[in-house]
Amino acid sequence: MIWSIAWKNIWRNRVRSLVVIFAVMIGVFSGVFLVGFMTGWINQRIHDALHYEISHVQIHNPDYLLNEEMQFTITNYKKVEDFISATPGIQSFAPRVKVFGMAQSDWASSGLIIKGIDPERERTVTDIHKKIIAGEYFEDEKGLPAMILGSKAAEDLKLLNYEITEEKLGSFDVNLKKKLQSLSGKRYRTRKEFEIALKNVLGLEYNKKDMYNLINHFAFYRLRAKLTVTLQNSKGELVFETFRLKGIFDTSNDMFDGITAFVRAGELKKALNIKETDYHEIALLAKSRNDAVTVASILKEKLPEQNVMSWKEISPDLSYYNDFMKILDFIYVGIFLLALSFGIINTMLMAVLERVKEIGMLMAIGMNKVKVFIMIMFESVMLTFTGAFVGMLISGILIYHLGKTGINLSMWAQGLEAIGYASIIYPAISFDIYIGVTLLVIITGILSSIWPARKALQLNPVEALRTE
Amino acid sequence: MNVIDIRNVVKIYNDSEVRVIAINGVSLKVEEGEFMAIVGPSGSGKTTLLNLIGGLDKPTEGEIMIGGINICNLKGSKLIDFRLHNIGFVFQSYNLIPVLTARENVEFIMQMQKVPFKIREKRTIELLEAVGLGDRIDSRPSKLSGGQQQRVAVARALASKPKFILADEPTANLDSKSAENLLDIMLKLNQDENITFVFSTHDARVMKKARRVITIEDGKIINDEKRG
Repeated sequence: MIWSIAWKNIWRNRVRSLVVIFAVMIGVFSGVFLVGFMTGWINQRIHDALHYEISHVQIHNPDYLLNEEMQFTITNYKKVEDFISATPGIQSFAPRVKVFGMAQSDWASSGLIIKGIDPERERTVTDIHKKIIAGEYFEDEKGLPAMILGSKAAEDLKLLNYEITEEKLGSFDVNLKKKLQSLSGKRYRTRKEFEIALKNVLGLEYNKKDMYNLINHFAFYRLRAKLTVTLQNSKGELVFETFRLKGIFDTSNDMFDGITAFVRAGELKKALNIKETDYHEIALLAKSRNDAVTVASILKEKLPEQNVMSWKEISPDLSYYNDFMKILDFIYVGIFLLALSFGIINTMLMAVLERVKEIGMLMAIGMNKVKVFIMIMFESVMLTFTGAFVGMLISGILIYHLGKTGINLSMWAQGLEAIGYASIIYPAISFDIYIGVTLLVIITGILSSIWPARKALQLNPVEALRTE
Repeated sequence: MNVIDIRNVVKIYNDSEVRVIAINGVSLKVEEGEFMAIVGPSGSGKTTLLNLIGGLDKPTEGEIMIGGINICNLKGSKLIDFRLHNIGFVFQSYNLIPVLTARENVEFIMQMQKVPFKIREKRTIELLEAVGLGDRIDSRPSKLSGGQQQRVAVARALASKPKFILADEPTANLDSKSAENLLDIMLKLNQDENITFVFSTHDARVMKKARRVITIEDGKIINDEKRG
């Protein structure tokens, strides 16, 4: 009965209650959506880092990690491989040869980390093959050994060129076509150079977004270009190996894409003059991200001569992001709810002060203080929860929808990718955040009711009944 | 049998500067089934006396025995609980809960007493029919006239099966026809079901119907008239 009276009491002043419910709804929606947005962003960063860059667990020769010198390969590789194969909780693993080299194209040079891989096994651990934006992944190469290069590295090596061709001008507006045709026939080796040329013919006031799209439209990678890589072999001699650019990958992390290249392990080993069973790194995927630490600790125990690290040790910043975001989530929601609680306290105080006589009557006829307190508290909680429920529902639907379609921030792609973040965000929210927010809302409702309820409890029935 | 036994009750209000003796040595016994009016001019102490009998206020001196229990010794939730189970209240300005229907207003007090649903339901309808509102049970107070609201208040007061009903100027806000009607209902309940009514009033019609009239002036009983 008390909850029923409380619910009815809320609707005594419909407008006032709706305003509070609306405010709570907006506050909870903003809080939950912001949490979803940030979680999606961080999850994506972690996912990308794990599935393109570091995997769940890595194994190295401990000496290799000191200076990453080539001779420190994993000892007893066969034994390690057999042990990993027999360890539960591991989904897949792939060995790699990893060296530093100086790559040189016809127009520029750049330092690279060259990873020698078995392409088929690498597919089971990293998703680089899914991130090929030009050319193709390793497959039946003939002639020169193939190299898959990061998009940013390709740009640094001036293998990303810009050229206006008749074919690409195709469906352009006549006037624009005419202006752009004046630049056709010339190849631009840097984005900046091409942008300046475009601005000269289109005018400085040309729309920034259209300019961005225009530049991308005329960009192309110099696939099949030759790249000579200078390496140091196992004898300490400098060797030169020439590769043909077969594909470009883009993981949306410029830092990774700017220094990483993949070649076949066998070809790299030949150039480095190392044995068939020599590898510098084994990357593993556990069955789930949460199993990574357990798997790493099992391997650490069983492979004491190797250095085994989980992703949390390899990249502690990622792990901190994860934990920090969870704390931040509750701080965001907490701030929103704290602000809202003042609104709720105000409304409930007004509601109590308007009903002094009625509360006095209830106390006179036998409603005890606990029940009066519960009634006021229910009103506060119901008011808060109604708004919060609607806010959570709307934010949930929106997060679910945007989690599938993504929020496109490609206008800021360059800036975001430079710091390792993707430009399409897929908001996500976990069930425990929903439970957490629900609890916080209920707690806010209860805490907000304390002051007004105290006011009600302090009433003297005789005096309260005398009020008009 | 005495339902109410007031022994030498004094009530003094001490404001910062003024000391007011609202009730000055009142002793009074009310027997079960009485239909008693407390009359007197404004400020004579009628409402204060009712508040003291109802346990809403405490006397400065003296004892108030209800059904053999000295309510002056009851405190906090025990006193509230005592009121819930022993005293029915009817207020001058009805004081119904505006968001509840007539049925819910009556039922509410029995819910606080934890009366089972079926008994509660039956008694609510019986009471509302007894006060002539059988056809308005699902109306909210705002849809009822003053007289009808006061009849709901009487039904509510009876719902808890109290030892007696205290009514503070129950007809003061009613027109003469509604007042007459309300009094007839109260009188009928008193006669048929032996329910004790104690009410304060200015209203000559109420005084006329009362079977005992206590006149109070300056906090003292100056006349106690029992009628056949």
